[in-house]
Amino acid sequence: MNVKFEKVTKKFGASVVVDGLNLETVDGEFVVLLGPSGCGKTTTLRMLAGLEEATNGDIFIGPERVNDIPTRERDVAMVFQSYALYPHMTVAENIAYPLRVRKVLKNEIPRRVARVAALLEISSLLERKPRDLSGGERQRVALARAIVREPRVYLMDEPLSNLDAKLRVQMRGELKRLQQALGTTTVYVTHDQAEAMTLAHRVAVMRNGRLQQFDTPLNIYNRPANRFVAEFVGSPGMNLIEGEIDAASRHFTSGEFRLPLSATELDRLNGRERVMLGIRPEHLQVSLSQHEADAPATIYVTELMGNETLVFFRLAGGQKLIARAPASFRAEPESQVWIRFERGQLHFFDAQSEVALLITED
Amino acid sequence: MRAKLKSIFTLSSLLKYALVLLALLAALAPVYWLITISLKSEVDQFAVPPRWLSFNPTLVHYKDAFVARSFGQYLITSAIVAVLSTVCALVLGTFAAYALARFRLPRKLDTRLALWILSTRMFPPIVTAIPLFLMMRDVRLLNTKASLVIVYTAFNLPFVVWMMRGFFMEVPREMEEAAMVDGDSRLGALRRVVLPLVAPGLAATAVFCLIISWNEFLFALVLTQTDAAMTLPVGIAGRVTQYEIKWGVMSAAGVVAMMPILVFAMAVQRYLVRGLSLGAVKG
Repeated sequence: MNVKFEKVTKKFGASVVVDGLNLETVDGEFVVLLGPSGCGKTTTLRMLAGLEEATNGDIFIGPERVNDIPTRERDVAMVFQSYALYPHMTVAENIAYPLRVRKVLKNEIPRRVARVAALLEISSLLERKPRDLSGGERQRVALARAIVREPRVYLMDEPLSNLDAKLRVQMRGELKRLQQALGTTTVYVTHDQAEAMTLAHRVAVMRNGRLQQFDTPLNIYNRPANRFVAEFVGSPGMNLIEGEIDAASRHFTSGEFRLPLSATELDRLNGRERVMLGIRPEHLQVSLSQHEADAPATIYVTELMGNETLVFFRLAGGQKLIARAPASFRAEPESQVWIRFERGQLHFFDAQSEVALLITED
Repeated sequence: MRAKLKSIFTLSSLLKYALVLLALLAALAPVYWLITISLKSEVDQFAVPPRWLSFNPTLVHYKDAFVARSFGQYLITSAIVAVLSTVCALVLGTFAAYALARFRLPRKLDTRLALWILSTRMFPPIVTAIPLFLMMRDVRLLNTKASLVIVYTAFNLPFVVWMMRGFFMEVPREMEEAAMVDGDSRLGALRRVVLPLVAPGLAATAVFCLIISWNEFLFALVLTQTDAAMTLPVGIAGRVTQYEIKWGVMSAAGVVAMMPILVFAMAVQRYLVRGLSLGAVKG
């Protein structure tokens, strides 16, 4: 079943938490709402669940407008950040609860509980109470309780954020397989961009209650719609330099830093004078010797990650940037290096509106 | 060094036990005195020096109280009034407390309402004795159990509301939200998920209500004068007359009066301890 938000606004008192949200999913899609805390993503999910009322606008599940339909009749299942398992019930009773309150036939319940428990590999835990489970096990029980019912839509509110890093990566993979197997539309909220990139068919990036971009993970990464998306997605995020366009000499300049631009790049700028230049850390090459058209820079600090080295440096104008370098790269702080900006990988954003000046298909 | 530490430790623990014993003595001595008096003949009751252990136990006072006099009836009245008023206060108070704990009203009306409810506990009960007497007279409820049930319910309600509101606020909102997403109504979620979680608190609150209603004296004295509507505390006090004080009968009735509360408190002790410390430990 697809989900649609039409001009949905949510206000708490005077503060606008979700502002004119338009969003439509495809049936069976895995959509991730991504954004920093307070961006309205959880409120959006809760409105879809019926736990919050939309101040304005319409929310649809399938063809049905659900604004005025109470939570229990929306036929959605939700996994809460805190899992919200019922502490006084056993694992089996927790999983059976949605079936019980929906008056599923008594003799069918144990069979369905057993099937879901087997799917999530928690069959041996069925008689335990939630307090006797580890974090990962609780997470599985919460998932089991959600999928036992075969609802129209799954809602997940940061379901992995209480797990340790290793378990999170493992569960992330399992979640993805599970969703592919079930094929049910899933709306998933997270502030972790790695989760968004790996899980989603499409990512909706939100900020201050407004949708910034709704696109595939690759497009979000490669063609961010504005400065916020560029900086928020990617770890580390995109480097940004504010500066001017010198059309006469075909250069981008920022203080002492100058970068020659191609004709197509100049076209994209469409005569603008003040822009923000963006480039991903992997598109900056750091070398200890000078090549043609390289920019001089001073090492600030290097971080050894094992598989790569993150190089923090300052351009001649003082701008701080980050580059990805091979794991073997070594340089002392304050030493001189040379930076190459990979051609064709430059992003430009309007200095005022911060909107991306999109690449014209070439 | 270690031996020295150990001796200090034992000394301090000795002191601790001595203090506990002292407290126990202070608490239990009157109970012991009450029980022995109820079993002593009148001669033994007033013996000097007091006979702590060496007396011939007799059940004559019990017989006097419950066969010859109407203490049995007082007991039944007390039980009916205490149980009914506790049930009424719990049902009404729990719903009110849930609403106050979960729903926000504009202009902080919910908090104000809660404080206003609490404030009714602040004036001395005797202030309302005369007005209540007049009101009960006008609605012809004097000398009825109903009058006591109504008054006790009213006086226990603020207590129930505040206790239960605290317990409800301890339950994460997500519990009910999960239940409602799972397909339950709010009342269903309250019954199947929230109430079981606050059961210890409910038990603790019930015990307090029962004790308060069971022991209540002032309103029972003002509102009931006939044997048919009299509760145990009033009945016992009634044995202090112009001509004599029936210590034996009063003690026997007192011992019996203690029993139901004692038994009930022991039965729910497990919940009581958890209820009183609920929120202290997350689980």
